[in-house]
Amino acid sequence: MTRSMVLLMVAVFLAPAGAELGAQPTPFADALAQQREILIDPEYSCVVCHTEKRRAFLLGTHSERGIRCHDCHGGDPTAFERGPAHSGADYIGTPDKFQTVELCASCHEDPDRMRQYGLHVGQLAEFRTSRHGHLLLEQGDTNAPTCSDCHNSHTILPPNDARSNVYPTNIVMTCARCHEDQALMSRYGLPTDQVREHRASAHGEALFERQNFAAPTCVDCHGSHAALPPQVMQIADVCGQCHVLVRRAFYEGPHGKTALAGTLLGCTSCHSNHGTERVRPEQIGATCTVCHDADSPQAMLGEEIEEGVTRAARELESARAAIDQLARAGHRTGDILFRHETAYTTYRQLAQVQHNLDLVLLEDLTRQVTSISTDIRAADEVAAEHRWEHKLILIPVWFLALSAIVLAWFKLNSLKKGAG
Amino acid sequence: MNDSEKQPRIRWLAQLWADLKASTDPGVLAVARFLGLLYGPIDRKLPIDQAFRKMLRYRLPSYVSWRHAFGGITYLLFVVLVVTGVLLSFYYRPSPQEAYPSIQYIVSEVPLGWLVRDLHVWSANFIVIALLAHMARVFFAAAYKPPRESNWLVGILLLLVVLCFGGTGYLLPWDQWSYWTVTEVLDTISKAPLLGLFADVLRGDVIVSGATLGRFFALHVIVLPWAAFALLIFHFMLVRKHRIAPPPGARLAEDAGIPFFPNHLLRTFIVGVVVLAVTFSAAALFPRPVGDPADPFELPTEIVSSWVVVDVSLGLIRYLGVWGFSLFTLLGFTLILLPLVDRKPEQRLRRRPLAVAIGLLFFGGYLILWLVGHQVTSVQSGAELRSGEAAEQVVPQPAPGERASPQFSSDASAATREEEQN
Repeated sequence: MTRSMVLLMVAVFLAPAGAELGAQPTPFADALAQQREILIDPEYSCVVCHTEKRRAFLLGTHSERGIRCHDCHGGDPTAFERGPAHSGADYIGTPDKFQTVELCASCHEDPDRMRQYGLHVGQLAEFRTSRHGHLLLEQGDTNAPTCSDCHNSHTILPPNDARSNVYPTNIVMTCARCHEDQALMSRYGLPTDQVREHRASAHGEALFERQNFAAPTCVDCHGSHAALPPQVMQIADVCGQCHVLVRRAFYEGPHGKTALAGTLLGCTSCHSNHGTERVRPEQIGATCTVCHDADSPQAMLGEEIEEGVTRAARELESARAAIDQLARAGHRTGDILFRHETAYTTYRQLAQVQHNLDLVLLEDLTRQVTSISTDIRAADEVAAEHRWEHKLILIPVWFLALSAIVLAWFKLNSLKKGAG
Repeated sequence: MNDSEKQPRIRWLAQLWADLKASTDPGVLAVARFLGLLYGPIDRKLPIDQAFRKMLRYRLPSYVSWRHAFGGITYLLFVVLVVTGVLLSFYYRPSPQEAYPSIQYIVSEVPLGWLVRDLHVWSANFIVIALLAHMARVFFAAAYKPPRESNWLVGILLLLVVLCFGGTGYLLPWDQWSYWTVTEVLDTISKAPLLGLFADVLRGDVIVSGATLGRFFALHVIVLPWAAFALLIFHFMLVRKHRIAPPPGARLAEDAGIPFFPNHLLRTFIVGVVVLAVTFSAAALFPRPVGDPADPFELPTEIVSSWVVVDVSLGLIRYLGVWGFSLFTLLGFTLILLPLVDRKPEQRLRRRPLAVAIGLLFFGGYLILWLVGHQVTSVQSGAELRSGEAAEQVVPQPAPGERASPQFSSDASAATREEEQN
């Protein structure tokens, strides 16, 4: 092989690498380059002393967007002496709570800067309407939180990042940092058991135990930047954001009208607020008697609804047991499970009856559940009958076996006698 | 047509006539011959009839009694397992996606499929009991001593094959009980000295998976049947060669023996019929329930065992741990080596205290472990059930008092609903 051929082959192999070197850098490569610059830039003085802050900042999303220390803190990052570095008209050092709000708003209120990230603007306006914003910005109460109290100061992460303070499973504890502080809350006359109640509630259980991120956290009912407790007449609408059908049924019924008039606390009257207590089927009647007399027609109506719902629940339970038995016996239960799902969907619609108090609908839904449950149980009974019939095979088996044994035994004895 | 052409045809016809006459001869193989199963030339060229008659004239020693029936019962159950196993293999599909539905199909759709499956399950249980009873009789009667030590070794290998048959077959239903039991046993074996590599090769993956199912199925229906077949033939040949071991004080020279046919065959027939009837009864009265389909990401609420050896294994694992499991296996190996050490012709139990002690420890221990292990229905936690590598890859460790993360649960919504219903 000649030398020119070797050179040619080397050139051919290196060509793609050359093309790669000449390619346009991607946005991700940009971000990496930016981080690298912050890490190793010999001309940037902040990171020489504030190494811990630099490390925290690099974990956050702002470091990927080209934002650097002096953008928020001011000063001269080209100076390597403490005095000159911490000087200049724009130097603010550690911003206080008021400055923090202004600093964040300087970018986050700018639609042109936020558009590219799909972030909406208006958090500051929202914050001003909130109790937190009112305390901080109008009353100058520095106990009230500012942006960095919830979002962190340097490691600022988007809400869908599991490390973020405002991630669904973390936000509750973020709020609890202040709202579980009895000394702090006593100044505002607020209770401190909201988090404990929320954790034990249906919502808390769904969120923390089943990792169901559709379950509401503090901000889903109170708002995030515009955090406030819902007003009496708003409660059903707040809950109705998720419980759409129940909300509609509630407003159809007599309680909805009372709630609209402002004399009933809406959903929280029966379910409490942070605890979101379930009213179990067997508790329906008792719940009505909290407000109504035990011998009143309303209480009787509650009893009637309780009877219908518990009957449907029992039907579902017995159908489930029948399906389990069929599965244990090796039957394929796909179709039956589908029917059970249908019955369960119907059963769930009974929640509407509990809110609009429509007895005709109650009867109709209960009948549908019972009908499907009866079908499922019938299938199990047929299968059980077949299983019982399987045992009948033992009659011919033992008849033949005993006959054969008796005959063989006689023959064996006669042979022994013959031999004797 | 000349005479030379006529001659072969006449000879052929004469032969046919002779064969037809022979087929109606009331001989031992008359029925087979009449049905054409023994065609003339085959019958003439091979001395089948003579061999058969010789076999029937065979005489067994008179000390052969009912207690010698366990070997025959084991063989009968082996035949039942082969027949039912072949029938099951018509419908069974050895893949994680199809194994469980195919079992459902066998049990609920195939005519008498439930019977075939439960006969297979119960025969697999009875064969272990019969085999151990046979082995115990041989052991305590000192029938393993020279010149029968090689047959004892073959018998132990057959026990090993039967255990492997059951172990590999146990996973095939691919339900939660079988899946997690096999996981637990394989995990224990992988921790045992020397056996660890063997368990990893068998598992073929970091967890019990389709790779494991494929290996177990191949062993169950291809490798082990051939091994069992070869060992059985060897076992029977050695039994014929050395004859059944006489009890102490037997006077062999004066023993006229008992005829194999019909006396011994009738006794065997009675035992066989009883065994079959009992197996049918167990299959019809106590069918093995079908568990939930295997789910590597969710532990079952309980373990239901359906095989004697699984009970013994769970008893060993849960109460004695890995070392108990290893030591009991070692005890089994000492039984293999015993004939090499214990070579004196002494048969009386009181003169063989060490051998009797080892035997009692093994057989008694097996019985106790069976009874104890049968009570085990709890499930070990997911982290304990997986090898370190698998635990790192698959299962996060839930905090004490917390449920396992539902993102690994296939039925989280169902659990939610049940709670909501309540």
